[in-house]
Amino acid sequence: MLLTILKDVAVLAGISGVLAILLVIAERWLNNYGDCKININGKRELTVKGGNSLLSSLGEKQVFLPSACGGRGSCGACKCQILEGGGPLLPTEKPLLSQAELADNIRLSCQVKVKSDISIQIPDSIFNIRKFSSVISEIIDFTYDIKGITFKLDEGETIDFKAGQYVQLITEPYGKVRQRVSRAYSISSKPEINTSIQLIIRLVPEGICTTWVHQNLKLGDRVNFTGPYGDFFLRDTEADILFVAGGSGKAPIKSMLEHLQVVGTQRKMTYFFGARSLKDLYLTKEMKAFEQVFPDFRYVPVLSNPDPDDNWQGETGYVMPHFKNAIRDPQNTEAYLCGSPGMINAVCKALQEQGVAADKIYYDSFG
Amino acid sequence: MKPTAQELKIMQRMQPGVITLSGFLGSDTRPLNEILESDSAALAALDRSQQEIADRMESFSQASWDSYLGETLIEGKYLVQTDVYRGRLPCPYGHPGIFRKAITRLTNQSNGLCVVWTSLNIHLIREHGFFEGKGSAFRLEPKTLVKALFE
Repeated sequence: MLLTILKDVAVLAGISGVLAILLVIAERWLNNYGDCKININGKRELTVKGGNSLLSSLGEKQVFLPSACGGRGSCGACKCQILEGGGPLLPTEKPLLSQAELADNIRLSCQVKVKSDISIQIPDSIFNIRKFSSVISEIIDFTYDIKGITFKLDEGETIDFKAGQYVQLITEPYGKVRQRVSRAYSISSKPEINTSIQLIIRLVPEGICTTWVHQNLKLGDRVNFTGPYGDFFLRDTEADILFVAGGSGKAPIKSMLEHLQVVGTQRKMTYFFGARSLKDLYLTKEMKAFEQVFPDFRYVPVLSNPDPDDNWQGETGYVMPHFKNAIRDPQNTEAYLCGSPGMINAVCKALQEQGVAADKIYYDSFG
Repeated sequence: MKPTAQELKIMQRMQPGVITLSGFLGSDTRPLNEILESDSAALAALDRSQQEIADRMESFSQASWDSYLGETLIEGKYLVQTDVYRGRLPCPYGHPGIFRKAITRLTNQSNGLCVVWTSLNIHLIREHGFFEGKGSAFRLEPKTLVKALFE
C-alpha cells in the first residue's frame, strides 16, 4: 500500500518536473524575440533585446522619454508616434489618448512591447536628454519645507539646458522603498553654469522622492538624474514680462532671471510671488537685488494670510488685483507662471481679461 | 476568503514605497476584501453611499482649490484648505489616469472634527469604496468622515 502511494507520488512529481521543464523551454522559445531594431525619426537606428517596453528599451540606449508614473501606463507622459510595428493598441492606452492621437498612431511607449523592428517619431529635442551622475555639493534650507539642493556633475560632464526646463531626479532605494522612482523638478540655477544644477524641492507629505531628498540626502551623496525636459522657457523677444510664481514655483523663474542677468535685457519685468505668510517667503533679498541689476524690474511678494506677528507691510491678498499697474501694453506682454493649478487658472483668467493673449502666457503647472 | 491574484497585485501596489512612502494599508493586516467589506458595512449603517461621500469631498476640495491661498469658509461652518504639490500619483488599482498631489484639510466648526484627504482618496472611495487600511497616513474612518462632512 505504502509502496503504491510512494510510486504514485514519484510519478506525479516526475510529470510535474517534465511539465515545468517544458514550460521553461517554451517560455525561452516563445518569449525570445532576439535583437530588434528601433528606427527613430528615420535618422537613427538602435539595436535592442526584444521583449521589453519601448520606454525602457529607449532608456537603455540613453534615449529618455519623459515619464511620471515609472512605466505603469497611468501618466501618459511617454507618448510617441509609432510609424511601423508596435503591435495593436492596448486597452490600458486608450483612455489616455485623444481621438486625434489615436488617428496619428500615438502610443504610450511604456505599454508598447518591442517584439519586432519598429519605427518611431519623437521630437528632436529628446536627443538632448541625457542621464547625468552628480554629487550633492550644497543643501540650503529655504523654508521649513523647501530646500535648495545643488548637484555637481561628474568631472568633465556638462548639461545644456534652457532657463525654465526641468530634470527628473532618480531616487535610490531607502528605508521601506525598495525600488527607484523618478520625479520632475525645475532647475533653479542659470544655464550658464553647466557643470552643476540647483533644484528647489518642497517636502510632499508621504512623497517618496521629496522625503528621500529632505531626510536622507547629505553632502557628498551621489545622485542620478535625466534631463533637460520641457517647453517652459524664456522666449527671446522684447515684450514686457510678468512672472508669477508660488511655493517651489520660484525655481524656474530664478533660473530665467539669473540667465537674463548674464545676457542683459532692457525688458520691463514684474515678478509677483504669492505665499500665505512670511514663513513661506524665501530668497526675497536675492530677488529684490535684481531691481538693482535690471533697468526696469520689480519684485512683489504678496501674502494671502500674513500672521499678525509677521508685521507684514507689503501687498496682501491674491496676486491678480496687482497686475493692472504692472501691465502697460497687454498686446506686448508675455507671462511666465509656475505654481499650483488653482493659481495658474486664476492668473491665466485675470491676464486674459486684461488683454494678454492666451498664446503669450507660458506656464509650468504643478498638477 | 483567500485573496485573488488581482487583489494580491493591488495589495502589492499598496505596500510602502511603491506609490507612496508609507503605502495605503497602514498597520492593517486584514486582506483587502475584508477591509472593504468592513467599511462598506459601516457606510450602510450610516446610510451613506461611497458616491455621495466622494461627491461631497470633491465639492469641498474644488471650492478651496479655487481660492488657492489659504482657508475658505464654506456653508458657514466648514473651514477648508487645499495644498497642491508638484506631481501626480497613479491609482493602486491600476486605473488609467493619475491624480494630483493635493491635500485637503476640512474642519467642521460645529462639531470640531477635522479630516484630511488627498485627491486619490476621493477616487479610491468613489470607485473602489476604499478608505485605506487602519493606521495609514490618509486612512479615513467612515463614521468620522460622514460626521465631519454632513453634520
